Amino acid sequence: MPRMNRRKLLKLSGAGALAARTGGIAAILASGKAPAYAQGTTVHWLRWNDFVPSSDVLLRSQIIPACAKDLGITLNIEMINGNDIQARTTAAIQSGTGPDVICALNNWPQLYADSVADVSEVAEKIGKDQGGFYAESTAVANNGKKWLGVPWCIVGAENAYRKSWFEAVGLSKFPETWDEYRAAGKKLKAKGQPIGQALGHSFGDPPTFWYPFLWSFGGMEVDKNGKKAALDSKATVESVKFAVAFWKDCCDEGGLAWDDSSNNRAFLSNTISSTLNGASIYLLAKREPDKYQTEKGTPLWQDILHAPLPKGPAGQFSYQLPMTNMLMGYSKQQDAAKKFLAWITSKPVYQAWFDSQGGYTVGATTIWEQDPLWNKDPVMQPFRLVGRGAQFPGYPGPADRRAAEVLSKYVIIDMYAKAVQGMPAEDAVKWATGEVEKIYA
Amino acid sequence: MIEGAKWRRWVYFYIPLSAFILWLLFPFYWMLVTSVRPDRELYRPWMAPNYAPFWTAHPTLEHITDLLTGTLFIRWMANTLFIAVISTLISLFCGILAGYALARLKFRFAGALGTGIFITYLVPQTLLFIPLANIIRNFQLGDSPWALILTYPTFLIPFCTWLLMGYFKAIPRELEECARIDGATRWKAMLYIIIPIAVPGILSAGIFAFTLSWNEFIYALVFLSSAEQKTVSVGVTSELVRGDVFYWGQLMAGALLGSIPVAFIYSFFVEYYVAGLTGSVKG
Amino acid sequence: MAVSEVVSQRAFARTPPRSATTRLLEDERWLAVVLLLPTVILLGLFIAYPFVDGVLLSVTDARVGVPGSFVGLQNFESLWHDTIFRTAVWNTFVYTAVATVFKLALGLWLALLLNRHFKGKAFARAFILLPFIIPTVLSTFAWKWMFDPTFSVINWTLFQLGLIHTRINWLGDPNLALISVIIVNVWRGVPFYAISLLAGLQTINPELQEAAAIDGARPWQRFWHVTWPLLLPVTMVVVLFSVVPTFADFQLVYVLTGGGPANATQLFATYAYQIGVGTGLLGEGAAVSLAMFPFLLIVVIVQLLYIRRVEVH
Repeated sequence: MPRMNRRKLLKLSGAGALAARTGGIAAILASGKAPAYAQGTTVHWLRWNDFVPSSDVLLRSQIIPACAKDLGITLNIEMINGNDIQARTTAAIQSGTGPDVICALNNWPQLYADSVADVSEVAEKIGKDQGGFYAESTAVANNGKKWLGVPWCIVGAENAYRKSWFEAVGLSKFPETWDEYRAAGKKLKAKGQPIGQALGHSFGDPPTFWYPFLWSFGGMEVDKNGKKAALDSKATVESVKFAVAFWKDCCDEGGLAWDDSSNNRAFLSNTISSTLNGASIYLLAKREPDKYQTEKGTPLWQDILHAPLPKGPAGQFSYQLPMTNMLMGYSKQQDAAKKFLAWITSKPVYQAWFDSQGGYTVGATTIWEQDPLWNKDPVMQPFRLVGRGAQFPGYPGPADRRAAEVLSKYVIIDMYAKAVQGMPAEDAVKWATGEVEKIYA
Repeated sequence: MIEGAKWRRWVYFYIPLSAFILWLLFPFYWMLVTSVRPDRELYRPWMAPNYAPFWTAHPTLEHITDLLTGTLFIRWMANTLFIAVISTLISLFCGILAGYALARLKFRFAGALGTGIFITYLVPQTLLFIPLANIIRNFQLGDSPWALILTYPTFLIPFCTWLLMGYFKAIPRELEECARIDGATRWKAMLYIIIPIAVPGILSAGIFAFTLSWNEFIYALVFLSSAEQKTVSVGVTSELVRGDVFYWGQLMAGALLGSIPVAFIYSFFVEYYVAGLTGSVKG
Repeated sequence: MAVSEVVSQRAFARTPPRSATTRLLEDERWLAVVLLLPTVILLGLFIAYPFVDGVLLSVTDARVGVPGSFVGLQNFESLWHDTIFRTAVWNTFVYTAVATVFKLALGLWLALLLNRHFKGKAFARAFILLPFIIPTVLSTFAWKWMFDPTFSVINWTLFQLGLIHTRINWLGDPNLALISVIIVNVWRGVPFYAISLLAGLQTINPELQEAAAIDGARPWQRFWHVTWPLLLPVTMVVVLFSVVPTFADFQLVYVLTGGGPANATQLFATYAYQIGVGTGLLGEGAAVSLAMFPFLLIVVIVQLLYIRRVEVH
């Protein structure tokens, strides 16, 4: 794989030369020697450290040299734990110094809207070239007036489940509705193979499961205009009641203490039958088949399949984790950083990174659905279209700061957690409604 | 000493002490086993029949070598050590002088100043780190160990000052007065009579200060950015927690290697510090 | 500014010939000024200024990157009605009180044990400090793994001993979660208490003990009437300096539970971080942090008064 990437990267300057005729940023991109920059122009890019180690290797060993060659920019990539990016970003903005480009998770661009540079020019060009951005990427990176960042990717979340265990309870395919899922989960839990779902305070798994769960029952935190809190509804109460039963009947009750890594470990150690997660479980099991085996001693990855979350009375929903590169307003390298963003998100360069991800993330633009990567492994197929129809917290209202506050206070998650811990559904909804109303007031 | 039958010694001494040691050190044993356990065994639930928490049949050095060669762990250790030592020295220097002044000199506002210094200890870090980022920028200290060396004393000095105030107060006034009758200046009396007596107190303050700087996380996370500058806590968590996968073996190896060497250094100091107190202050 | 005044005084103190400097330093007030100077400068620069900044922040509706305007005490008022904040306040008090009591009791017990002569004393004393030495974030990861519902070695041990029949959901159960977090805090704090109190114990003249023994006092009486009063001043300082970081604890909860499940382990500092950093509401976040201050102040003033009283007697 790395070899292939290198070959692709070598073609880059060629591809750029073609684009040069179209003018604009591409023209500067293509000029190879990057005349506009004094030597030593450095762009500092802060991002999370990837689950896929080969992607980090690619960034360090190939993208950095290619960036120097194509743009004359020294790229300084800093990778930290995803949990800690916000602390860095906040301090950087408040002190007016720090990384030039920060790769944001979720709708952080909306949170920092006043502190990021307008990158509409770059984003619109990328969107136009690559078949348009997904609605969710647009929702988090565009505030209706301008682009607050260039959408980078979407980390897909699908149910990873055990083929043989589901077959053993008479299911040849993954349940399509919550009722079916609950029926299957009940049988599985009785056999000591529960469904695993995190219901604690961590930024990945709990929200990506419980928000779509709420939506699929027709619950929502705010109305369509984002004006009035709308959590208090019969649909919400129904969803909470269902959640309590689902939790008791089907789930590993340790999930209340889980963080984003717990379900990976539980699945890899053959204790849970299904869990909503990124492709990391499957990809890790496949990368190291000797280490991760089924209870029968066969490689675990051969028994894993993926499927989307089931449908509810109000339809089928998903919330995928979007990532966006923000060009920070305080950066002294505005031009260079813009050129860098245009370059790294351009198809040929992004292609190398996309390939290295092996499907763990999908592109933020629709063009990547057509990539031959998806033909390589049928198990990864369900991830191909995750970008379509994905919603962000705040749905059906805007993905704005208030939605982020509800999210980061874990109001929706805790509503379910409280009910699961024994609070009557109506009271849990009442509590959460109070919190949501305060935020949207 | 516990007098009487042998069983009393067991009940009142050996059993409780062993229980303490077991409880305090078990997590370290756990880190050790985890760091030499192959991944295959790491992913075994506790209900599994072959779950063997206290040993491993196939120990491996894989995680430890990965940690040492695949990351900048050694470098982080050196950074942390450098930062902790210098900031401890600065804090001790300030703390000794201030503690002496507050404990043994008469001047106006002594009480108020002492309280003031203590109150700075109450200011929560979560409130400080954002405004502090501003100062760090103004001094152009970002991404330099000096950002931490200068900010750590803010929570170390109050402690050192107060602890040392206690020690200085306990030293009889006559000692100093004798020296002054012999012709020593106030300054010299402090330097050659009082401070040496307070060495055990200084050491204990030093140990505490060193440990707090060794442990610190938020400032180190916010003020440092390049991988080469990071401290152990920040380096290990940002390198070995990847997305939703933790590299448990390496993490635990990092935790272990990040604490055991310090314990060895302490084993020298602690004895000195604890024993040194006997007879010196109240003897 | 006070600081610049002090600086110029110092410069003045240095310029005259050496004997004059010495004479000046003979004056207690001048000596005090010189001795306190480094501390005042450092703390003034790196605490006083950011602190004032933080206070100003707390009375505005500032968000990240937006300076905000003055809103008076509105942030504090909204906190007053905030159920999560109330939970956090309650949790913080329980956390601090329970953890401190246990740290003190166990630390004292351990100090008394370590105060005896036995083989391997030096080794035991140093290695008992390990929980205190290890970077908190890393030891908390180890605890997280030991509490993990799927892999818990603690559950395994209790199960093998026949004490439990199903697993204990250490971090998932709302009541147990706070207890688990307290266990880790106590684990980390006991060594510090033990070593500091041990140092205090060693300053107590053994003759006092012997005299009491001759008078026929039982060991427990001897401890209560002889050792404990003499140990009290050291104890108070140790408690004072451990209560503050416990009250403001952040890392431990941040790593172990993130304040979950359902805010069962939410503390002041974690909630302040969630609001200030997670949501970008710097004004409100600063208000949460600052709300900690009066509570801490009360706790500390009570202790300081107590120390004074002890010192007088």
